[in-house]
Amino acid sequence: MNNKMSEQDLFKKVGELPTEMVPERDLWLGIERAIQGKQQSDIVSNSPKKILPMAWAASVVAAVLVTWLSFSPSPQISQPSVNLVAEMRQNFNQQKQAMLVNFGQPQISQLPKEMQEQLAQLASARQSIETALLSDVNNSDLLNLLRWTQKQELELIKQLYSPQWQSI
Amino acid sequence: MDKSKVIDAQNLFSVDPEQEWIAKAKQGDQQAFHEIYNSYHRRIYALCWRMLSDKDSAEDVCQEVFVQLWQKISNFRGESKFSTWLHSVATNIVLGHIRKHKNWLGRVFSIEDQTIPDMAVEMSTQTPDLSELDKQIMRLPERARLVFVLFAVEGYRHEEISKMLGMAVGSSKSQYHRAKGLLREWVSEN
Repeated sequence: MNNKMSEQDLFKKVGELPTEMVPERDLWLGIERAIQGKQQSDIVSNSPKKILPMAWAASVVAAVLVTWLSFSPSPQISQPSVNLVAEMRQNFNQQKQAMLVNFGQPQISQLPKEMQEQLAQLASARQSIETALLSDVNNSDLLNLLRWTQKQELELIKQLYSPQWQSI
Repeated sequence: MDKSKVIDAQNLFSVDPEQEWIAKAKQGDQQAFHEIYNSYHRRIYALCWRMLSDKDSAEDVCQEVFVQLWQKISNFRGESKFSTWLHSVATNIVLGHIRKHKNWLGRVFSIEDQTIPDMAVEMSTQTPDLSELDKQIMRLPERARLVFVLFAVEGYRHEEISKMLGMAVGSSKSQYHRAKGLLREWVSEN
């Protein structure tokens, strides 16, 4: 026990400790992969976050519509429901127009391409539902789907043209 | 001509490559970031290994440090030396890693206060050229080792260490005292 190292000798040894050590494996490869992956995810996350649910919504609408059209019953025409669809369309168009006027009548071509695609997909889904309703006007599920799609389209327009995206 | 004036002028007009790498890395230049990695990874790895006393964990955490550095480098404002800033970023990441990986067994039985058997250190380090003192530092109980490395090797003050480790300043000092005593005993034994 008497051969305990002195404190001075210990400090001397601490001062001599190597400041660097060499890792056995090449760490850069993993770092490079991680930062490249991060950059990719940043690009994705920098694009409007709310657009993704919209894309999902448009896909759901399209899927439901395709299923519906495949298994739809034979056409039945009912005048009051046709009027209802026309009324819903008119209301929607008025709201959309008012919203676009509010945002200064922006051109869709000014939006980034992916946003244009999302908007076009929702509009196309809405038109398909309207067409389907022409042959099955009393179908409450389709009417609800139309109402929901119109709402989603208005929401998307609101998000796309709100000031937060105008700097993109 | 006065030589010192020539040297001064050279210093004034020469661009420090590190500053250039940092500026470029902030702009997303991966090549510049690779240069920073080449300059510092051995030092950061040494810090990780001494604090973690495990080679594999040290390699993983060293990678984590540089991945996080890539994300945080824009936070470096040049108010301190880059190396100092990087060491403090790395120290925080290592401590975060230790906290995250401390299992319930360690918490219940306070493994952090037990010394690590020499053989276990041999197995975990497996590097013949590791200095004798480093081998003994890695045998220290966790808290004593962390305090010793941060105070004696990295140059932090006890006040800073106590905040980093969430302990009283007095505890940091007593852990350091304990580490010193054990090392003085162990190193002279060999």
